[in-house]
Amino acid sequence: MTETKKYKLTIWISVCSLVLCVVTPIIFETLALAQNPTASDEQLIARAINGEARGEPYEGQVAVGAVILNRVASPDFPNTVAGVIYQPGAFTAVSDGQINVPIDPNSTVLKAARDALNGWDPTGGCLYYWNPATATSKWIWSKKIVKTIGKHHFAK
Amino acid sequence: MGKLRDKLIDWKKRLSDRHMYSVIVVLIAVVAIWGIYQYKRAADLRQELDNQYNRAFYEMVGYVRNVELLLMKSLISSTPEMAAETLQEAWHQANLAQTNLGQLPITQEVLANTSKFLSQVGDFSLSLDKQNINGRQMNEEQYKTLEKLHGYSVSLLDGLNNLQGAISEGRIKWNELANKGTEFFEKKNQSLAGQMLSDIDNSFQEFPTLIYDGPFSDHMTSLKPKNLTGNEIDVEQAKQKIKEFFGNDKVASVEHVGDITTDTLPAYNMKVTFKDRPEEEFATADISKKGGHVIWMLYNRETGQETIDVNKAKQIGLQFLKEHGYSSMKDTYYMKEDSVATINYAYQQDGVIIYPDLVKVKIALDTGEIVGFESKGYIMNHTERQLVPPTLTEEQARARVNGNVDVKSVGLAVIPTKFGTELFCYEIKGKLNDKDFLVYINAATGKEEQVLIIIDTENGILTM
Repeated sequence: MTETKKYKLTIWISVCSLVLCVVTPIIFETLALAQNPTASDEQLIARAINGEARGEPYEGQVAVGAVILNRVASPDFPNTVAGVIYQPGAFTAVSDGQINVPIDPNSTVLKAARDALNGWDPTGGCLYYWNPATATSKWIWSKKIVKTIGKHHFAK
Repeated sequence: MGKLRDKLIDWKKRLSDRHMYSVIVVLIAVVAIWGIYQYKRAADLRQELDNQYNRAFYEMVGYVRNVELLLMKSLISSTPEMAAETLQEAWHQANLAQTNLGQLPITQEVLANTSKFLSQVGDFSLSLDKQNINGRQMNEEQYKTLEKLHGYSVSLLDGLNNLQGAISEGRIKWNELANKGTEFFEKKNQSLAGQMLSDIDNSFQEFPTLIYDGPFSDHMTSLKPKNLTGNEIDVEQAKQKIKEFFGNDKVASVEHVGDITTDTLPAYNMKVTFKDRPEEEFATADISKKGGHVIWMLYNRETGQETIDVNKAKQIGLQFLKEHGYSSMKDTYYMKEDSVATINYAYQQDGVIIYPDLVKVKIALDTGEIVGFESKGYIMNHTERQLVPPTLTEEQARARVNGNVDVKSVGLAVIPTKFGTELFCYEIKGKLNDKDFLVYINAATGKEEQVLIIIDTENGILTM
């Protein structure tokens, strides 16, 4: 290849990769939105569990669902499942879009959501939980830990 | 150094020679345009969000204003009917205020008290409303409580008006509050908006404990279990009880994973593995420290082909309960999903179904194995009740039901209320326009306490 062609090639490759870098995130963004249909309570809770506790043991997943439902029942929080889940700043999985990650068909989150809706509460009424490894808020640490399941501490 | 300079000059020549300048310029322009586009898009989204927060805030202030006015009107009203009307509206507006409160980008702890106040105002208004609808005026104490609540709503409104002023003047931007950076939360007390909001919230510190029968009244939050019988047990005894729960011959190992330290039901958290089962298929359970009652158990495993139908499952569950000390139980509702049946059992005393004494059992429909258990209702509520014979006869109860309903069966039941109390009722099952209903008529007063619609789906029976 001649020198000219080599330079031209390099320039075109860099232009193309730059364009790709710009375009791909936009495409993926729209794809994620397309895969997010409106959900009933069960679906919504399952998605929230999926976003927050995908890798947690089953008990931990039911626990996250139970915390959501305990918040609905509590006077300190919004009165609907959607209100609790989408309360600004309440769940990191909602703030960073993890709630929109599609549920793996092998996942147990839907079962966990159902158990939580049917009244199973491994936390005994807790309203808060956090991951000690990643939690930065000083305030959450002032809460008395009621139980620890997997990577999360649960508190009332 | 010389070589570099030469190289640069060489490059420059090459660029200008082959119109590469134009390509580079175009490239930079493309990136710049993209950058501007992204920035503008982000600014637009932020503005949209800001608008949403403002909308929620202004709506909330509007509703709180209405709550204050309606509470005032209720204090002034002379007839129970008028009071009922204004109180019901007050409850409605308090609900709306709270919904909008939940949409604001404010950390939970800053507004917990305000949220609680709105819930309790709403709920107190509703309970007074019910009372007034029945023609009963407020008594002295309730009047004083209502006055206090009105006072608090006035100060809340003041605080909100100040905040509203600050927002209109541009001194506060929702962006500041919505910023998720950790630094913000540390500087929370220095931010004006955060400070104003915490001040509003702090004014509720001396909020009186409301004594009324609502679901959010303070006495509800400190319920004590009625059926936590037995002595304190240690970890080893608890492990033994867990083994007996599943069946000594089925359990491979029991591990004490942790404790749950709540005031009502302190318990040991156990993990159980089974013989002939892989280690990943384990069950978890909480067993109470006092008495060794299994509060709940979950055994999540894959289920195979269904070989058992729901009716058989109901019997299996009943048998299991008998063997574990839960006698005289009756199945009430069930759900079936993914080859697992979840069956609700209620305690039956002398033919009366006691719904609050609830135990739920999950049965796998491939082997009939118990894969779930939940008994918090039973532990909290179960006692032998003093049931007086009903004042109404069955005929009288039937007469209370809407004439269009085709009555199928009548029984007696004790049902829970939202407020933690219980009602002794006739349970009348009927049909109207192809829909099944359950109507609960108070066995003493004949008042229609509750109406439930039964929805029969292929996944089970739901009541709404």
